[in-house]
Amino acid sequence: MSDAENDADATDRMLLQRMSAGDRAALAVMYRGYHGRLCRFLSRLTRRTDIIEEAINDCFWIAWQKAATFQGDSRVSTWIMGIAYRCGLKALRQHGSEPVDEDSISEDRTPAHDPGEDREMRDWLGKGLERLSADQRVVVELVYGIGHSLDDVATIMQCPVGTVKARLFHARVKLRNVLPGLAGEQTINREIVP
Amino acid sequence: MTFQKDIGRDCPRAWEAMPWVIQGGASPTQGAWLNMHLAECQACREEFAQQERLRAALDMPCDLPIDAEAGLARLLARIDEADPQRVTPPRRAFSSSWLARGLVAAVLIQAVGIGVLGIKLNSDRNEHAAAPAYRTLSQDTASAPAGSLRVVPASTMKVADWNALLHEYHLRVAGGPNDVGAYTLVPTEGAQATAQILESLRANPGIRLAEPVSAAP
Repeated sequence: MSDAENDADATDRMLLQRMSAGDRAALAVMYRGYHGRLCRFLSRLTRRTDIIEEAINDCFWIAWQKAATFQGDSRVSTWIMGIAYRCGLKALRQHGSEPVDEDSISEDRTPAHDPGEDREMRDWLGKGLERLSADQRVVVELVYGIGHSLDDVATIMQCPVGTVKARLFHARVKLRNVLPGLAGEQTINREIVP
Repeated sequence: MTFQKDIGRDCPRAWEAMPWVIQGGASPTQGAWLNMHLAECQACREEFAQQERLRAALDMPCDLPIDAEAGLARLLARIDEADPQRVTPPRRAFSSSWLARGLVAAVLIQAVGIGVLGIKLNSDRNEHAAAPAYRTLSQDTASAPAGSLRVVPASTMKVADWNALLHEYHLRVAGGPNDVGAYTLVPTEGAQATAQILESLRANPGIRLAEPVSAAP
């Protein structure tokens, strides 16, 4: 775990401790801090904003109630993401909704105000994700989007590490075979690589 | 795994390392090795570039319009709603329960008190009702049974004569004698009218005083 991750986790633990004492300001800080990544994470499960909002609400409702029982076996972010994942699946079941069908959302994936480059990248990502299962999309999001380790993902999804490895492997193979090549249009700066 | 562009035996290892190098979870040694491999392997460079683009695409903010502040407000409202349900109602129930019990207890105490008072008053009345035999002529006579007589026999009168007199006039001793030697007599079944009894008693030389209780002596 990097220093930045350690600092972030220490902050999260402090917030969680304050939440366990009923500090709503700490809850608000944590809510705002996680809202963006939870929205994106849950959007890999469903495109219905009402379900995403419900899942996030339920997630922090549980975090608020269970803050005092956090064992500290994992990072707080792993704990939060695991709760959000289960809340997302539960909300989907309650609404009788299936995990997002990427075929049906390619039209509304891109907000009208998106810059052209972002729109192009979202389209490119959409073409790839639509070929993945919901579990594969979740693993890809957790590993590439959020930066969790295999162990973290296994904890979040409550499955063996081997299962996570398999999902990630198959997702990568599908993406490699489906996504258009990048020859001549590479726009990513290699400086991203640490 | 199918590597259409596999060109070397290190490619599977590079494939394994790519996600962790890209997301910053790989060790420096692993990162350095991958960079060396990428410098020599065109296929893995292309794959790595695609992985980087995937990471960049996934790193874009969520494209769905979901308002964090509105969601937070709903969450806080939910907590506000739940807190009274979790804490206050039991307290209210507890409080109202004890209040109700207190009120019931007060009513019961009042009822018992009123009952005891009523019994006591009734008992007093009964005592007053039975009292004529024990009251003197100077005492209130309002509670004496109707037709009662207050009679003072002569000190020389024998008991046998007294009993015979009572039997003759169908009288019964209800009380007495008091401090002045007066008896309270009540007529029994078959007795004559009070006025006639009084007249007969007053004519008897063994009776010093015969007066109706209801009348002033």
